[in-house]
Amino acid sequence: MNPRPIPWLIVMRREVLAKVTDKSFLAGTLLTMLILTGIIGIQGYLGQRTKTYDVVATADAHPLAAQVATAAAKADDLVRVTVTGAADAAAARAAVDDGSADAWLHHEPSGWVLTGRTGVPAVLTSTAADVVRTSALTANATAVGATVAALEKGAALTTDQLVGDPERSNLNKGIGFGMAFLFYIAVLMFGITLANSVVEEKQSRIVEIIASAIPVRQLLIGKVLGNALIAFVQMAAYAAIALVGISFTPIGRLLPSVTGPVLWFVLFFAVGFLAIACLYAVAGALASRTEDVQSTSMPLTMLVLAVFFGSAFASGTLETIGSFIPPFSAVMMPIRMLDGGIPWWQPVVALAGLLGFAFATIVFGEKVYRRALLQTRGRLSVRQALAAAE
Amino acid sequence: MLQLHGVTRRFGDLSAVDDVSFEVTDGLLTGFVGGNGAGKTTTMRMTMGLLARDAGEIRWNGRPIEVSDQRRFGYMPEERGLYPKQRVIDQLVYLGELHGLTAAAARTSATGYLERLGLGDRAKERVEKLSLGNQQKVQIVAALLGEPVALILDEPFSGLDPDAVDAMTGLLREHASRGIPVLFSSHQLDLVERICDRLVIMARGRVVARGTVAELRSAGPTRYLLELAGDAGWVRDFHRGVHPVDVDGSRAVVQVEQPGSEQALLTEAVRRGPVHEFARVVPALSEIYREVTA
Repeated sequence: MNPRPIPWLIVMRREVLAKVTDKSFLAGTLLTMLILTGIIGIQGYLGQRTKTYDVVATADAHPLAAQVATAAAKADDLVRVTVTGAADAAAARAAVDDGSADAWLHHEPSGWVLTGRTGVPAVLTSTAADVVRTSALTANATAVGATVAALEKGAALTTDQLVGDPERSNLNKGIGFGMAFLFYIAVLMFGITLANSVVEEKQSRIVEIIASAIPVRQLLIGKVLGNALIAFVQMAAYAAIALVGISFTPIGRLLPSVTGPVLWFVLFFAVGFLAIACLYAVAGALASRTEDVQSTSMPLTMLVLAVFFGSAFASGTLETIGSFIPPFSAVMMPIRMLDGGIPWWQPVVALAGLLGFAFATIVFGEKVYRRALLQTRGRLSVRQALAAAE
Repeated sequence: MLQLHGVTRRFGDLSAVDDVSFEVTDGLLTGFVGGNGAGKTTTMRMTMGLLARDAGEIRWNGRPIEVSDQRRFGYMPEERGLYPKQRVIDQLVYLGELHGLTAAAARTSATGYLERLGLGDRAKERVEKLSLGNQQKVQIVAALLGEPVALILDEPFSGLDPDAVDAMTGLLREHASRGIPVLFSSHQLDLVERICDRLVIMARGRVVARGTVAELRSAGPTRYLLELAGDAGWVRDFHRGVHPVDVDGSRAVVQVEQPGSEQALLTEAVRRGPVHEFARVVPALSEIYREVTA
């Protein structure tokens, strides 16, 4: 006879197999991946598409309108402005009104006016404003015998930032939010699934057969690890799609710089997920029917929400403190690392803390789980479960 | 041999199982009988190590039972449950593996049992597609996988059709004849009477009777039936060592209070006229049950 295989491995294998052969799970995953790809594809398409605007002008405004078209093309190669002539103001107004033109550029006693039907596209407004301003400035400067350059000297303001560059900061914010959201979704989705599968075993009493064959601890470990593995693979697939999508956009060149923090996040995600998943298994064990799971898992759902909001919106000292407190550290430390400048020991300490937390939840979880598993009369509180004899 | 000594379990103020002692002998079918709430399931769970005991001792082959012993028992819990979405054979292989079998051995064993219970062609279906009776057969197979060293079965016969009851009885006998102790609970007294070698009867958390069916019967009162050609009314006044239980027309049932006094009754009956029948009344198990659990 072969050496006896490790029971939790057998349990874990079943959990994984049951999941990957579940049609609704597969369909859901596939659908999410399709939607993700679609969103990224649409963003990319919209980003690459050339936008065309029609400006109508009467003969007197035509030269200025032509300047606007040139300036617009120069500023953004995805924008085209075409100028059409109109016999008189009424015709131009009619062209805007019937939609054949986006805006009408005309001169009034008060100055230049750009008229749209319900509004003027922002890119037209800003380009036209620049052109009008430059043209007026040039005329005014010539009138007083100066140059535009002389008049504008010292009037420009540019922005700069000490850490990173602006695109990098936006990418960090995006990836940071993505991490927080991924963790939130994964924990919530798989946590509830895990709790339900525990209560299903409890309700159907198959847990009695299993508990008579292997220690309950092995069952708990196998279930938690099996679900963690699936969550991990699924989330990795989503993240991969998102990252590949980003790599096709202009900010894609910045991706290599976030690799380190993202890899750390994978580690933090794994440990944090294990810790909370274990608590969800306990929530399942405390219930007697599937309907009870919602209420027994409520405190956990609150905790997961707090982790999400904390990591998505905390900043400054609060963020620094949170990045060391499990389970908040699971997401907040990797987010802080994205901005750089974190000494190496900080993630190590945070990870150690998170590991300690995970270990504590597994020990505590097993205690409650073992006692609650055979109690089938209604909902239990943690205190009742711990007080119950085995 | 499985022995329980003074096993006790309380839930709060309720003594679910109170000082229960009995033994399950190797090679015999022991029936475990009692009403709802008598404490059978709790006793079986404690035997399997699923519930802790407040007092008492369970011995296996003469020494205190250990978890490693219980892991080799075949167990069927009272409330039926399997993974509804999983295929029958996959589920059995899984449970077999948890009991330490290789996947191949579990598959062979499970397939064999499924065929014997008439489920061979349904092995690849999901459990939820099966009728409740068939699901139960799958559970029985789960308990039998991998040569268990003892069988503890909670209500294995409930919900089975007569053919399945016969197949099940055959399986249990077969396992008992391997020399292992088999304990099963049931509400069906006629069935228990027919197939059991020994009986344990529980009521209100206590063992109220145990032994072979014959022993239980002989422990009950000795009664005789007397059928006469004429009226049997005189038996009411025949008080020498017998007590009339029921006298109706030409028939009378008496309880013997002093062994041998039934002979005096017979002599008197023959003296009075023709006797059509004079026979010992063998009480049905249900009568014994009613008596000991009352």
